[in-house]
Amino acid sequence: MSEQIKPDLKFINSVINAGGESLKKCFQCATCSVVCKVTPDDKPFPRKEMVQAQWGLKDKLLSNPDIWLCHQCSDCTAYCPRGAKPGEVLGAIRKLSIEHYAFPSFVGKAVADPKFLLLTFAVPVLIFGAVLMALGNLKIPDGEIVYAEKFMPVPVIDAVFIMSAIFAMIGFGVGITRYWKDLTSGTKVKGLPMAAIMATVTEFLAHKKFKTCEETVDRSRSHLFTFYGFVGLAITTTWAIVYLYGMQWLSPYPLRDPMKIFGNLSAASLLIGITLVIINRLKHAEKAGSGSYFDWLFIGVIFTIVTTGLLSEILRLLHVPVLAYPVYFIHLVVVFFLFAYAPFSKMAHMVYRTTALVYAKHTGRDKA
Amino acid sequence: MAENKKVLVIGGGFSGLTAAVETAEAGSEVIIVEKTPFFGGRVTQLNKYFPKLCPPNCGLEINFKRIKNSGDVAYHTLAEVEKITGQEGAFEVTVKIKPRYVNDKCVGCNACAEACPVEMPNEFNFGLDTTKAAYITHNQAFPFIYAIDDRYCKGKACGKCAEACKYNAIDLDMKPETITLKVSSIILAAGWDLYDVSKLDNLGGGKIKNVITNMQMERLASPNGPTAGKVLRPSDGKEVKNIAFVQCAGSRDENHLPYCSFICCMASLKQATYVREQYPDAKAEIFYIDIRTPGRYEQFYWKVKDDPNVTLTKGKVAGITEDPATGDVILEAEDIFGGKKIRRSFDMVVLAAGMVPSTKNSKIPVEVSLTPDGFVLPATLQKGIYAVGTLKSPVDVAKSVQDATGVAIKSIQSARR
Repeated sequence: MSEQIKPDLKFINSVINAGGESLKKCFQCATCSVVCKVTPDDKPFPRKEMVQAQWGLKDKLLSNPDIWLCHQCSDCTAYCPRGAKPGEVLGAIRKLSIEHYAFPSFVGKAVADPKFLLLTFAVPVLIFGAVLMALGNLKIPDGEIVYAEKFMPVPVIDAVFIMSAIFAMIGFGVGITRYWKDLTSGTKVKGLPMAAIMATVTEFLAHKKFKTCEETVDRSRSHLFTFYGFVGLAITTTWAIVYLYGMQWLSPYPLRDPMKIFGNLSAASLLIGITLVIINRLKHAEKAGSGSYFDWLFIGVIFTIVTTGLLSEILRLLHVPVLAYPVYFIHLVVVFFLFAYAPFSKMAHMVYRTTALVYAKHTGRDKA
Repeated sequence: MAENKKVLVIGGGFSGLTAAVETAEAGSEVIIVEKTPFFGGRVTQLNKYFPKLCPPNCGLEINFKRIKNSGDVAYHTLAEVEKITGQEGAFEVTVKIKPRYVNDKCVGCNACAEACPVEMPNEFNFGLDTTKAAYITHNQAFPFIYAIDDRYCKGKACGKCAEACKYNAIDLDMKPETITLKVSSIILAAGWDLYDVSKLDNLGGGKIKNVITNMQMERLASPNGPTAGKVLRPSDGKEVKNIAFVQCAGSRDENHLPYCSFICCMASLKQATYVREQYPDAKAEIFYIDIRTPGRYEQFYWKVKDDPNVTLTKGKVAGITEDPATGDVILEAEDIFGGKKIRRSFDMVVLAAGMVPSTKNSKIPVEVSLTPDGFVLPATLQKGIYAVGTLKSPVDVAKSVQDATGVAIKSIQSARR
């Protein structure tokens, strides 16, 4: 019996608008599935995703673990005889999947759409602006630069970021629960597959998948720097909490303090990583595609976080208050953006990809 | 009316020969210049050609005979046009003629080739074997006069061919000459080259021994080819019982040739029959994006498809590797209908490489606009100059012949205006 296909035209257009404008060029030759080094042999991607997207088969795509098995090496895009850029199209589908599972969904829509860019940034600007106004700190303070005491008190920062982290956790929790339900519907998967989780984490820590890329193999290095930069900064933050609340020791901390050294090294790693990301993206644009709004928003936020973070420190040490305080303000705004909108921006890939990989390993779809 | 009614045809392949004989038989004087030492072009290199699957001589011999019988056709081999000036009715064409080192006293006895100590790659067989520097391409070549390739020949320092020749036909002192032709109209029939498969890095890049091109396959199957028509694979001469064809090897690919080369699907279907007819137990598999059978060729496709030993697999081959132990070739493709990535091993693999207009490798000395792929846009040619066949788009022999016949009329009109 043949299956009747009802194309979802709106979905086709949303793939096209999300960075998959080359979608319709695909003529299903399957070069992509063959040159892809990370696809399974059985029902390989991305050829089938290309035809599913052309036909608007939304349900087949958004909950499809294969879109996350793809690491956008772009070998497919480089060898595509039609310029259909399967790597970019799968990136667009991933974006739509993040948006689809977003909770609350209006935040998902706002982060995904350039029309709401200013609005999404206005939220942290207004929050931090209101705090400064209430404290009467809406001016450049005199004397030695101390961000915490003279500008934005630590308890306020902690309160705002704890709230935004809770907001993000709820978003991730609901999103990933929905996604896991869709993934496992009709299968016998029950409970948490611990072995698959361990396999995914060990593979990820060494970036094994990334290293199989050919066209853009240098991405494994840039992503590794970025990832471990973030890991280091997370450790630094925990360390600082111990100093502040455990030892009642207030910032700024001396440059030779081990926590400070560790934090600065992590920031350097992040800066190197994200700069390499940008360089690689530009270098490979011709063969691998130039990326979407969603990609560049995420890259831009991380780049701004690390540069404003380092500049806040440098400007404080050089004592340039007129620049230091505004830069620090921007830093707080972009960090808020990254935290609060994590389930809706490309940052969500860390959760969705990990989940898809766990599922794929558990079901034998991904063997490596 | 122009005083000079001569028509110049540049290129002595099937298109050029057809245009020349049709023009001459309508009463105009014709001159053909051919870059290589022999006429017949690409068709000469085929084993059989569509639509009737005749051996090439079947059509070429008639044309050669018509040229010989017509008093109105002059021809030059090893001749390349360097400059064209003037206008319709009064073109002046500078032609450089390279030395053949053999004159028309040659009777084709092969003594020079036997005496020649130099082996060179056989370009006529696309490098599948070697030939002597004093050579003839095959036993029905036209003109049937040997040629000496001075890129390899050691010249008078050796001179063994001249000693061996009983007819005084060899002249190693022959020098290049430049002639000027005055003609009324010009037909461009410079034809096509095969796409350079070394650019297809994921298909072995021309480095795997048992991966050959479709034109090499024609030579392997041809009775006057390197194996006298037995389809044996290059690495070890093993009979090819399990062959695969890789369609669109370069064609329909923005990174290589963005257009469909028109002939390759039919060529591979035809070549599958070469192997099937030669070895009753042989298997052939054709990997394709779409099988294209222009015009009335559909029935040939049905015939090949109905052969239980021929498999047509939808899915473009995008990876080719060699099994170093056996010399077998491993193809990687997605079997689209089966939904699986497959790796299959074959005795030999044929790349269905595409057609490239000869303008890509040698510029035509006329003002003309070309498509980005090098095809001539005929409307942009100067009045009195016409292009035929594969210079304008990828076409088969039958379509080239029709086109050449039509262009013959145009050139006669130019000559009589």
